[in-house]
Amino acid sequence: MSPILTRRDFLRLSGMGLGAVSLAALEQARAGAPAPSAMMPRAPHFAPRAKRVIHFFLNGGPSHVDTFDPKPALAKYAGKPIPGEYLRTERKTGAAFPSPFQFKRYGQSGLEISELFARTAAHADDIAVIRSMYAQVPNHEPSLMLMNCGDSVQVRPSFGAWTLYGLGSENQNLPGFVSMCPGGMPIKDSENWQSAFLPGVFQGTFVDPQHREVDKLIENIRSPHADAATQRRQLELLRELNGAHQQQHGNDPRLEARIESFELAFRMQLEASDAFDLGREPTHVRAAYGDTVHGRQTLIARRLLERGVRFVQLWHGAGQPWDHHENIEGNIRTHSADIDGPIAALITDLKQRGLFEDTLILWGGEFGRTPSVELSDGGKSKLGRDHNHYGFSVWVAGGGVKGGTVYGATDEFGFRAVENRTSVHDLHATLLHLLGFDHERLTYRHAGRDFRLTDVSGEVIRQLIG
Amino acid sequence: MGTRPHLDRPASTDRSRPALLLCLLVMLTMVWAVPLRAAPPADASRHWAFQPPRPVAPPAVSNVAWPQTPIDRFILARLESAGIPPAPPADPRTLLRRLSFDLTGLPPTAADVDAFASDLAIDRPAALARWIDRLLVSPQYGERWGRHWLDVARYSDTKGYVYGREERRFVHAASYRDWVIQAFNRDLPYDRFLELQIAADQLVPPSSPDLAAMGFITLGRRFLGVTHDIIDDRIDVVTRTTLALTVTCARCHDHKYDPIPTDDYYSLYGVFHGSDDRQLILAPTADPEAVERQKKFTAKHAERLTEANARLRARIADYLAAQLELNQYPEEGFEQILTPDDIIPHSVRRWRDYLRQTRGTPHPIFAPWHRLSEITPADGPDFATRAQAVLDTLFAAQPINPRVVEAFKRPVTRMRDVATRYGELFRDAEAEFSRRIRREEADSSPRPSPSDEAALAELHTFLHSPDSPTTVRDSAIVNIEYYLPTSVTEELGKLQADVDRRWIDLGLPAALVLSDRSGEPNPRVFRRGSPSQPGPEVPRQFLGILAGADRRPFQHGSGRLELARAITAPSNPLTARVLVNRVWQHHFGVGLVGTPSDFGLRAPAPSHPELLDWLALRFMEDGWSLKSLHRMILLSAVYQTAHRTPPAGDPEQRLLSAFPGRRLEFEQIRDGMLAASGELNPELGGKPAELLDASNRRRTVYALVDRQFLPGVLRTFDFANPDLHVAVRHETTVPQQGLFFLNGPFAAQRARELARKTAGLTPADRVRSLHQRLFQRPPTTIELEAGLRFVEAADRAASNLERKPDTTVWSHGSGEYDEATRRLRSFKALPHFTGTAWQGAAAFPGGETGWAQLTAEGGHPGNTRAQGCVRRWTAPRDLTVSISGTLVHEPSEGDGVRGFLLASREGVLQSATVHHGKAELAATLRVQAGDTIDFLVDIGGSLGYDQFLWNPVIVAGSDRWEARTGFSGPGAVQTPLAAWEQYAQVLLLTNEFAFVD
Repeated sequence: MSPILTRRDFLRLSGMGLGAVSLAALEQARAGAPAPSAMMPRAPHFAPRAKRVIHFFLNGGPSHVDTFDPKPALAKYAGKPIPGEYLRTERKTGAAFPSPFQFKRYGQSGLEISELFARTAAHADDIAVIRSMYAQVPNHEPSLMLMNCGDSVQVRPSFGAWTLYGLGSENQNLPGFVSMCPGGMPIKDSENWQSAFLPGVFQGTFVDPQHREVDKLIENIRSPHADAATQRRQLELLRELNGAHQQQHGNDPRLEARIESFELAFRMQLEASDAFDLGREPTHVRAAYGDTVHGRQTLIARRLLERGVRFVQLWHGAGQPWDHHENIEGNIRTHSADIDGPIAALITDLKQRGLFEDTLILWGGEFGRTPSVELSDGGKSKLGRDHNHYGFSVWVAGGGVKGGTVYGATDEFGFRAVENRTSVHDLHATLLHLLGFDHERLTYRHAGRDFRLTDVSGEVIRQLIG
Repeated sequence: MGTRPHLDRPASTDRSRPALLLCLLVMLTMVWAVPLRAAPPADASRHWAFQPPRPVAPPAVSNVAWPQTPIDRFILARLESAGIPPAPPADPRTLLRRLSFDLTGLPPTAADVDAFASDLAIDRPAALARWIDRLLVSPQYGERWGRHWLDVARYSDTKGYVYGREERRFVHAASYRDWVIQAFNRDLPYDRFLELQIAADQLVPPSSPDLAAMGFITLGRRFLGVTHDIIDDRIDVVTRTTLALTVTCARCHDHKYDPIPTDDYYSLYGVFHGSDDRQLILAPTADPEAVERQKKFTAKHAERLTEANARLRARIADYLAAQLELNQYPEEGFEQILTPDDIIPHSVRRWRDYLRQTRGTPHPIFAPWHRLSEITPADGPDFATRAQAVLDTLFAAQPINPRVVEAFKRPVTRMRDVATRYGELFRDAEAEFSRRIRREEADSSPRPSPSDEAALAELHTFLHSPDSPTTVRDSAIVNIEYYLPTSVTEELGKLQADVDRRWIDLGLPAALVLSDRSGEPNPRVFRRGSPSQPGPEVPRQFLGILAGADRRPFQHGSGRLELARAITAPSNPLTARVLVNRVWQHHFGVGLVGTPSDFGLRAPAPSHPELLDWLALRFMEDGWSLKSLHRMILLSAVYQTAHRTPPAGDPEQRLLSAFPGRRLEFEQIRDGMLAASGELNPELGGKPAELLDASNRRRTVYALVDRQFLPGVLRTFDFANPDLHVAVRHETTVPQQGLFFLNGPFAAQRARELARKTAGLTPADRVRSLHQRLFQRPPTTIELEAGLRFVEAADRAASNLERKPDTTVWSHGSGEYDEATRRLRSFKALPHFTGTAWQGAAAFPGGETGWAQLTAEGGHPGNTRAQGCVRRWTAPRDLTVSISGTLVHEPSEGDGVRGFLLASREGVLQSATVHHGKAELAATLRVQAGDTIDFLVDIGGSLGYDQFLWNPVIVAGSDRWEARTGFSGPGAVQTPLAAWEQYAQVLLLTNEFAFVD
């Protein structure tokens, strides 16, 4: 996809802190050649470690004490109140609720991971877990916005949109930012991948991977009323008519840009069909990812990334599947099993293709869950966990990340981040750094001031960088 | 929520080569380049935009023959000094296309172009004036210019993300949209136009249709109910739209560049904080359902409020105790109030504010609280003794309610006791008061002493006053939801949603107005924008830079009307300038000021400052009439120049040496295509229509703008983001735009219609007619030949093409499996086609069948087993067919679906229940012409997670029918385009169609 900017947009892009827009592009703009594309690949501020991002979003809020943050103390206090400061969460919770899952040390690094992610754990030495994340409130909506857009409430561009703004895309025939979610949208819908005041082309393109037909995946990607030969003939006539028109209009680059966009559209039909067609993958690869909707969406993600798509977000499912207020043991087992295999397969696959080193993988939700058990209104245990924004885990891998690392810690019970507390802005600053950006300089002028993903804070976490 | 301070201006360019890049930017951009760190001038008030517009005489020019209006002399003077001659006038066709798209958003007809050309030949000035007037009086003018306003007003038909209890569509959006359109059409003076949008509640009678104007303020996102952000959005839309000032930059600290201190932001914050949202029907309805729903809501609302107030009054001790640990109640924690017994944080904070406001006053009830709470450990360890001394002094010094005095006769040992004591005091007083009322009714017992009567009355008045922290004010849920338990908010929210839905379905005219709250204290500055760090109090008043030295606080209520009048005051240097600049921008593509919503210190200087002032003054003199302004601009010679390649001295055409050509916006292209094919539905106003609905042929301004699910096509075509004030749309070119025209049904449908309308003509005449319809001109010889060649080739190709699958054999309906006869009991066609799915109604789920839906690949069964969905194949002739296909049910949740393969003669051939899996359903049989094969899916057990995939294929010899490829809507839109249709589509796709010169 090649959105052609107006000269105005382009200069806004180039003038607003994106210092490294190539001089050649500026020359081109001056010469009145086709206006440079907003999606044209651009170099970041400094040499990047990662060129593309895949974000596994476990929407609903995955429990850290059951996955990547073992807390043996919970077993000692099982059934008893957690000592220490009372932290207010969204609903009422009761006694300490030990994880029913076994943790083991994996790899050279001995990273502790629960049995729920045993297959992912095979790549423990590539993974850096941040155990000291915190958000602002124990509610899904603002926390989703914070994790995706860096602000809980106001309309701000998403991380993916900022990434496209900064880097463009390597493939002009595919959307540069794809958000996949099986069965419908997560809560907050398209706000999660919005472009806000950035141009609309930087917004994520939503794809429901439950569909298998490419025309259900990308709007208008197939013609129901003309075959390729017909379209080719039509485009030839179009070019002829436009040529005559253009001769009378001097070198207005917008005319050429629009002519070119039809050619791109024509090519996109083939390219997109190919990218989403898993039938082209060998059987053993499909088997490795698994013939489930999560396996398929992860494999589609790899096909997109290797074709130059810049940013892929994989949501677990419509609504908030990881919101395990009750019966967490059964529910988290099911949901982990959905993605453990595909994630492990993806890492293996990326390594085999030489893509792992410069693909940044981010795993996490909008917050974590309480180490105490959630209670019903009547005070009965629901065998689940409430929202917990005081402390939670995410992990990153690939793309310049120092594997086998644990950064930060929650308290003895996993309630609150206490050591090397990491804000979402810190996380974003670090990810942008790996993509080659000084997060303080990736800015956009809107409504009288310069905005950035990290607002006014955020520290790059050097310990995570390999 | 924390602080949200703003950014320092970062370095703008790559530090390694700033000079070179800067040099290039300057070269390339003229005024576009944003100046790097402009040093603020010594006195910001001397900035041009803050000076009153200066009356300037249009300058003298050498070429006296060219100017048609004073505007032209301003333009020509600059051109002459640059040594650039103006472009020659545009030809009549170009000019009329330009005028027509500009004023109405629609193309002229070929007949119009001919008439216009001959009129011009007779008397050019008179003809122009007449034709411009004709366009200005057409109702389509308001539809075009109203849309410009909707861009800056961040118009949306929906609220954005809301919790499940709430109706997600606005009740009043369409009324606001129509009000704006009509305001343009009736040339409502702009000052009045603004005043109504900001303060109609104080300007017109309670049922005036002008109340709809307030949608301007109330159509923003709801920000999950966070007041500070709702108000920020309102300040932003008002100040950027009317004044082109970025006041919200001063939310956290003084504006970095403009003379807008944070105090001024909070002065305006106070104006909006002092108003509640109120929803109104603007025309009474007799609809019994609407009336009933409203009644039900009102009764429940009153009941729940009474309960809530009773709880607050019964728990004064707890709320006062909470004042002793306010850190437990941080500001805006998205609190859930789970049970009615929970302490309500918002009420704790209202108590806090009330006590703060009364501290330092000789309050007859709470003075003891204030004094006692000032006791510190430094005053000695014995609180009781200390308290006694404090109280003795107090009681001697000022009048205190005797019942309060009485209550503190017993010693108190800590502040918690004091809270308890107040609690008991109020509880007893309340009980006694009601006893007395009962007694009075019985009229038997003796009256109490007058002094005790007064003491009691004072306590009672405090408890029941609307401004008391023990009263939840009687207002819409959106204003008071945080004072109610979550379950009550849900309950009332659902009842309100029932009311809203009925209003919306009936299309009742409605308004969401602001209404001033009484007793609202002055706002306080939030330090670093954080509500948890309140700073000094500021009065409600206008911006200092505009109000000048004799600024006075607003006097009336919230001050909103005074704010509106301060904005529209002729002495305000910005309002008229900002508006004439916006109008200029839409006529010429770029404003005289390139940043139409930022006239601050960093805005680029106007390209023609004297012209801007002249227009602003003239606009006000003409009674703020937009139509007069249009006339003045459009009658100028500069507007009528031909488009040409920009000369070297004016590469960006800021000097307007020629008319800058423009790409049409999405609305103009879509409406223009419908107009060209003669299908445009000219209906004005009313409920929004789904943009992509195949039957929607209304103007795009009436398409549903759903900010949460904005159709991809709108985003693709740079439609104004409905979340934000948009002064200038982005203009991008992406292949998805091409895909919409090439592959989407919209352009293809218009092409079919164009071909149909020209069907009787000879090929050459058909090409001519199509050119006239689309471009209002005959084709050139080359174009004519190219067209004929194309059609011939397309025809040849079509005859070589294999026969396409017959789409008429498939139909889509609902029906029930009869367990006894093992056959389909009934087949009822699904009535609504969305473009991609057959279903029960336009709304989904909807109609009698609820969730029943069929798409090309699968679908979803209806709500009960009686509403299974049925894909039906009807045999076109006698055949032996093999049927195959896999029924897939993916979700692990729910209980799956049942699938049946049924034949009209044999009944059930195969069936399967599938849950999180798949089943192959296949059969081979003989059918006779007219026999049917049905593919029925119904719910497994209960409704939920029942979506499925099933693409059956039927093969008979070399014939093959696949459900997916045979899937189609009512007009069989999927049949291949015939040669002439292909040709018409190409013409619709041309640059000539998409650009105006």
